Amino acid sequence: MMNDVTIVKKIFAIFVVGILMIGFFMAFTQMPKANAVNVNDTVSRFYVMKDVDQATQMLDKGTYFNKNMVPLRNDVPYTPITFGKSANLEDGAANVVTSIVVDYRGFDTLGEVTVLFLAASGVMLVLHGEKRKVQKKKTPPSEIMYVGTRIAFAVIFLFGIYVFIHGHLTPGGGFPGGAIIASGILGLFLGKQGYSPNKAGLTIFESLSGMAYVIIGIIGLVAEHSFLANFLPTGTIGDLFSAGFIALIYIAIGMKVGSELSAVTNAMITDTEED
Amino acid sequence: MIDFLQNWIYLIGSMALVGIGLYIVLTNTHIFRIIVGLNIIDSGTNLFIVTIAWHPKSVMPIYTATNNLVVNGHVISADPLPQSLVLTAIVIGLGTTALALAIAVKIYQKYGTLDVRKIKEEDR
Repeated sequence: MMNDVTIVKKIFAIFVVGILMIGFFMAFTQMPKANAVNVNDTVSRFYVMKDVDQATQMLDKGTYFNKNMVPLRNDVPYTPITFGKSANLEDGAANVVTSIVVDYRGFDTLGEVTVLFLAASGVMLVLHGEKRKVQKKKTPPSEIMYVGTRIAFAVIFLFGIYVFIHGHLTPGGGFPGGAIIASGILGLFLGKQGYSPNKAGLTIFESLSGMAYVIIGIIGLVAEHSFLANFLPTGTIGDLFSAGFIALIYIAIGMKVGSELSAVTNAMITDTEED
Repeated sequence: MIDFLQNWIYLIGSMALVGIGLYIVLTNTHIFRIIVGLNIIDSGTNLFIVTIAWHPKSVMPIYTATNNLVVNGHVISADPLPQSLVLTAIVIGLGTTALALAIAVKIYQKYGTLDVRKIKEEDR
């Protein structure tokens, strides 16, 4: 049904998209090259290749910030950080992204976990109450599939745990680790007809790990000055036992995300009607 | 040419992803395709936010034994703050996609189709 009206609409859509893309791109064609960076510019791309000495001088002169802005801490001198030697830092995580996500913006991550929990409970609420339909696959999984997915599940589970325990040292963290564990459980669905994980176990796991996050935050409130404050010693940068409570929180997040995504997969697979 | 690509490939790619997703959302009437288009827009915006904090000569913002973030007084790592913002955005995009797909399953069970126009005709 490619009549004239459809073609005109598609051409109009391409036109609108093209204008928007050109507009987006025009805003960024005026960027200077990396060698000619002006430190006063606040676009994040200019963060790269910044001259630390020049920035320190500008901090001393007071020209680094805008006129009415005062830097929060200009009494702290810059000290270079060496991997494996620097100890007792403010936040000892080798992965800078993790230290921002879990330590400095930990409350935001708590909200993020809450959003994921609400989405998962929304999925289970919408898909709840269906009569359990027996899936009829055209070719049932063979014995090799059954055994192979179980062996693969053990390896995938171990790798997921590795990813979220080493979240403060290597790329990754709680959310990718939980997604890896959920993908292993998705493999178990492929291997056996009518497979269903222990729903009560998943619920208990999810609730306990969510509670653990809040309890760690309240311990920070009691032991230190504020909610989700780092109350453990931050060790030497690069060690497994460093960066304080980041590993604990990432273990809680990993277990929570893994069980939530497994429950979402379970709800979507068992309640989907197959022709 | 190769310098141009090294500098701009991710920015052009993110713009292209946003454009492709916008085209899919504007021209399709199938709910599942609309969800896929929204996901492509999501990926494009995430790639854009990471890209504006990135430089061809920059290194990853992780301290390892061989990876130094500050060399000769110059910070050479990518800016970690937009990356952590994108980490939040990816997870929320996943949650909203799962919820949208669940609602799409319910719509299919009620109407027997996922085409927006046919659903509107059946409602009359």
